[in-house]
Amino acid sequence: MERKKLIEVKGCSKSFPGVKAFYKIDFDLYAGEIHCVVGENGAGKTTFIKMLAGALRPDEGVIQINGQQFTYLTPALAHQLGIQTIYQEISLAPDLTVAENIFMGQEPVNRFGFIDYPRLKGESKKLLENLRIDLDVDTLVGNLSIPQRQSVQIARAMAMEAKIFILDEPTASYGTNEIANLLELVKQIAASGVGVIYISHHLDEVFSIHDRITVLRDGIKVATHGKNEVSENKIISEMIGRDISKYYTRDKWEIDASKTVSFEHISGGAAVKNVSFSIRKGEIVGFAGMVGSGRTDLVRLIFGADKKSSGRVLIEGKEVEINDPKQAIAAGFSLLTEDRQRTGLILDHSVEWNVSIVHITNSPGSLIHEREELENVSHYVDAINIRTPGIYQEVRNLSGGNQQKVVLAKWLYANANLIIFDEPTRGIDVGAKEEIYKLMVQLARQGKYILMISSEMPELIAMCDRVFVMRHGRIVAEISREQLSEENILTHSIGGIL
Amino acid sequence: MSLVSELRKQPAKWKNKSNLSVYYLLVIVVIAGIAMLILDPNFLTVRNLFNVLNQQSTLGIVTMGVAMALIAGCIDLTVGNLLASTAAIAALMLQAGVRDFWVILITCLAGLAAGALTGLIVVKTRIDTFIATLGLMSIYQGIALIIPNGNNIYLQGKFGWFGTYRVADIVPISVIYFVVITVIAYLVMRFTKYGRKLYSIGGNPEAAFLAGINLGLNKVYAYAVTGLLSGFTSLIVISRIGQSQPAMGVSYPLEAIAAAVIGGVGLSGGRGTIPGVFLGVILLGLIRNSLNLLRVPSFYQYVMLGAVIIIAVALSNLGAFKRNGKS
Repeated sequence: MERKKLIEVKGCSKSFPGVKAFYKIDFDLYAGEIHCVVGENGAGKTTFIKMLAGALRPDEGVIQINGQQFTYLTPALAHQLGIQTIYQEISLAPDLTVAENIFMGQEPVNRFGFIDYPRLKGESKKLLENLRIDLDVDTLVGNLSIPQRQSVQIARAMAMEAKIFILDEPTASYGTNEIANLLELVKQIAASGVGVIYISHHLDEVFSIHDRITVLRDGIKVATHGKNEVSENKIISEMIGRDISKYYTRDKWEIDASKTVSFEHISGGAAVKNVSFSIRKGEIVGFAGMVGSGRTDLVRLIFGADKKSSGRVLIEGKEVEINDPKQAIAAGFSLLTEDRQRTGLILDHSVEWNVSIVHITNSPGSLIHEREELENVSHYVDAINIRTPGIYQEVRNLSGGNQQKVVLAKWLYANANLIIFDEPTRGIDVGAKEEIYKLMVQLARQGKYILMISSEMPELIAMCDRVFVMRHGRIVAEISREQLSEENILTHSIGGIL
Repeated sequence: MSLVSELRKQPAKWKNKSNLSVYYLLVIVVIAGIAMLILDPNFLTVRNLFNVLNQQSTLGIVTMGVAMALIAGCIDLTVGNLLASTAAIAALMLQAGVRDFWVILITCLAGLAAGALTGLIVVKTRIDTFIATLGLMSIYQGIALIIPNGNNIYLQGKFGWFGTYRVADIVPISVIYFVVITVIAYLVMRFTKYGRKLYSIGGNPEAAFLAGINLGLNKVYAYAVTGLLSGFTSLIVISRIGQSQPAMGVSYPLEAIAAAVIGGVGLSGGRGTIPGVFLGVILLGLIRNSLNLLRVPSFYQYVMLGAVIIIAVALSNLGAFKRNGKS
């Protein structure tokens, strides 16, 4: 096959303080080819394409584009070379029309220097027809659905005369039909001679469009396979292949199966569809799934932070009404959010204020009993070993692990019974992780109900009695402790083999 | 429980950065006072000090409301024109011979209701508080003109006692109002759950929401309080000048915000203390009084006052940058 090589990456590495994002990667892309890149969350896919888009510089290695050699790219240079990247987040102006967005920054002008609207619209229309995208060029982008916006973004990239086209998880919030349309569009673009890099963790999509597949794991390229050379099972095992033994191991304890908190038919927004499950007293239940599978949306619904469209909650057999966080807290629920700095803590306030806030604002009476608060806060700081110079220290100055403990202390003080941990150890260093695990185990043994969301599979396997796997807003599998394995979780998460 | 006893040993209870700015301010106020004493021995007479307090009392009362709203992250620009509106209502009632007690009660309630309405509009429309209250400011300006049909309303000697009485012939009554309201504001922000909620809402609204705090309701309360205090202040002002004027109070919103910010309140909310705000008000008054004693022409006073506001806030921002830079 006589095809032009568009990209050749040789030995590129990139590390951030404390983390190797990717290491000595070789990668190439031909004109007219769809080259898929797969890997777990955090395997280095996004960082890798950011390098190609010029958003970050590799520490070592060479990038050849069309035979020209570079040590790094800048966004402007990447643009000039015809590299167009479409990220998960959409970057369009919602108050402009489809046509205006497509030609944003390179609008055709008439001889007075004003935008030539007839030409703008005409060319947009032609472009959309060529791509077989069915959209009115005069619609405001703000009125379009997410997949429609995505296709405008693709049209825009084509208007920029893309030679290399990169898509990062384009289908994160898509329905089945929309996915099929998008894949068709991508194939068509490749057929016109453009080289496409397609990043996804949905193996079914990847298998339906790929010419080649490259697997990344922990920042290292595991293999590149040609079309029909490999099975999905093989890809999955290549995506995992990691030693679990170094992770935390916990004891076993008795679970009181007679008491449960049950959630029935929970739906809400576009992200969560008819989810039912229950947690037994003293049990740690995990939620696995890829980014965007609806896990965080689910716990926000449970906690009343977002409005449920349907569903009910039963605590030990009794139905409770939960429409806002206040009611959830009254029912004994608590939520340790994924992004604790933005949504869990008041960074400018002291440890004391942060730990006492939920108790203070959800207990009866209108006065703060300062002495009592002080004693209780000190007790929790001591009990879960928050390392701080004092309880009047601003939480901004604490480490990630200690900040997480402040959030936990706040909920323990509020007497939480069901504790929801969303990515409990994200951004926390190894030593502190183990302390968080120990606290979770301790709480479960005390008879709390524990729900944890995690994207780190070894963590789920080490900690959970049962794991639910979510995909596209639904629970697609329930895996018991005995059957927990990375293969098992990943297979269900990416919907490869059911 | 060794840690508990150790934590108890920690000295100041409120040892955080809001507190530090109170100490800084106190030092600045004392230095400004000493400098004035050297320049003009008249400065340190009891009468002059009460004058300073008396002049600042109306702005000070309004500032307490504005500062509490700011701590919750809510800007309120309506206070001045709202004050002019309630002043017109009060003056019309007095002219019609309504008894003083009812005038006071109804005017305060009118302010409270107007403030609560402001809060409801801000919460329900979810417009940025600066823009929403900017619009409302113009609406209240219109109302302040509509109620008295654009005229000044003269009190003809009535109601003078409310704003000009001097206790024991020396302590102006409005200074007493100011001090009492400051103390109440301090107690509310320091010891009540409501106060703590305002701090949390301003500090991180999302975290406050997830902690079970009703953001909307508490914001409405905060605006209702600024409205109430504006209404109350309008009574002092009309009593002092013997009339209501549709254009009165226009400088209040910005001066109140300036005083609060000088006192350590952050414009984005969550930070600041009532003692700090009190000192901010006093510092502004001291500077104005000094410029008067030094016979600086009033046109130049505006320029210098503005410069002082900018310098004070810039200094506190520099401090904040340093702190954040460390972590």
